[in-house]
Amino acid sequence: MLWATRRGCHVDRTACIWLIRRFVDGEAVFAFFRDVAEAPEGAELFDVAGARLSHHGDDCSFETFLKEYDLQDPVLLEIAEIVHDADLMDEKYGRPESEGLDAIVRGMQLALPDDEVLTRHTDALYDGLYAYLGREVL
Amino acid sequence: MEKTRWLVLIYRIPREPSRYRVAVWRKLKTLGALYLQDGVAVLPEDAVTREQLEWLQVRVREAGGEATIWEARPNTTAEDTELVEAFRSSRESAYQVLIAEAERIRRKAELGAENARLWEQLAKAEREFRAERRRDYFRSPLRKQAADALKDAREAVREQGKAEGLGAGSGG
Repeated sequence: MLWATRRGCHVDRTACIWLIRRFVDGEAVFAFFRDVAEAPEGAELFDVAGARLSHHGDDCSFETFLKEYDLQDPVLLEIAEIVHDADLMDEKYGRPESEGLDAIVRGMQLALPDDEVLTRHTDALYDGLYAYLGREVL
Repeated sequence: MEKTRWLVLIYRIPREPSRYRVAVWRKLKTLGALYLQDGVAVLPEDAVTREQLEWLQVRVREAGGEATIWEARPNTTAEDTELVEAFRSSRESAYQVLIAEAERIRRKAELGAENARLWEQLAKAEREFRAERRRDYFRSPLRKQAADALKDAREAVREQGKAEGLGAGSGG
C-alpha cells in the first residue's frame, strides 16, 4: 500500500513509519511531499492536517494510529507516551526519554535529509526502544 | 539588521464549551507565543513553531472555530525590535522564579537537607528550565543567570551526596 506524508520527518512521522512497517503493513511504500497538493493519487495520508491518521484533539499521529488500528500492545502504548511528549512538548506524560529522542531524531534529520534513508535508520532506533521497554513491561 | 520572520495565528473559537478556548490558550502559552490582541497570537518562524501552529489550527477548526496562519513582518525595524524585546521580557519572570528556586536548593544542600528530596527538586527545576529555554526564542538576558544558578545548585547537591555517602559508609 502507498502511504504519504510531509517531507522533513521528525519524531511523530518517523515513529509512525516504523509502526506502519512493523505492525500495520509489511509491504508499505512511502512518498514524501512538500505540499499536500503534490501528494500522489490514492495514497493514504498521515500526519497531515485534516487526515484521518493525524493529530486529533490531544493526540499526536502515533497515538491516533494505535487507536485507529486497535493496537493494544503495552510496549507501543509506552512508546506512544514518549512520542507524544517529544512531538507536542507539553510534558503530558513526563517521559524523560522524550528529550533525548527529540535531540537524536532532530540531529539525524539534519544528517540524513532523504526521508527514506532517514526512516531506515530511525527504524533501528524504535526497534531498540521497543526491545528495551519490552524487557521492562512484559 | 535582517528583520525576523513571524508567524501570526488569527483565530476565533466558540465561547462555549470553554475547554477548547482554554486548551488553545494554554498551548500558545506553552509555545511562548504572545498575543498581539484577542485571537491574534504571534511566534517567530521556524520549522517547529510552524508545525505546532498548524496543529493548533486543526484543533481550532475541530472545535468549530476559524483559524488562519500568516507569515508576517512588521512594517518598521522599530516595531520588529519592540516585538523581540516583548518576547525577551515575557520570559523574565519564569527565569527569576527558577533562579530563586536554584538558590534555595543550593542553600538547603549546604545546610544538609535530605539529599534524595533535593535531587527531586533539582530535577524538576532543571526540567522547567529546559522547557523555558525552548520557548525563549531570543535568548533573554536572564537565561545564562538561571543556567549558572542551576549548575551551582547541582554542584552543591552532588557534594552533599558525596559527603553523606562517605559519612554513612554507603558510598558507591
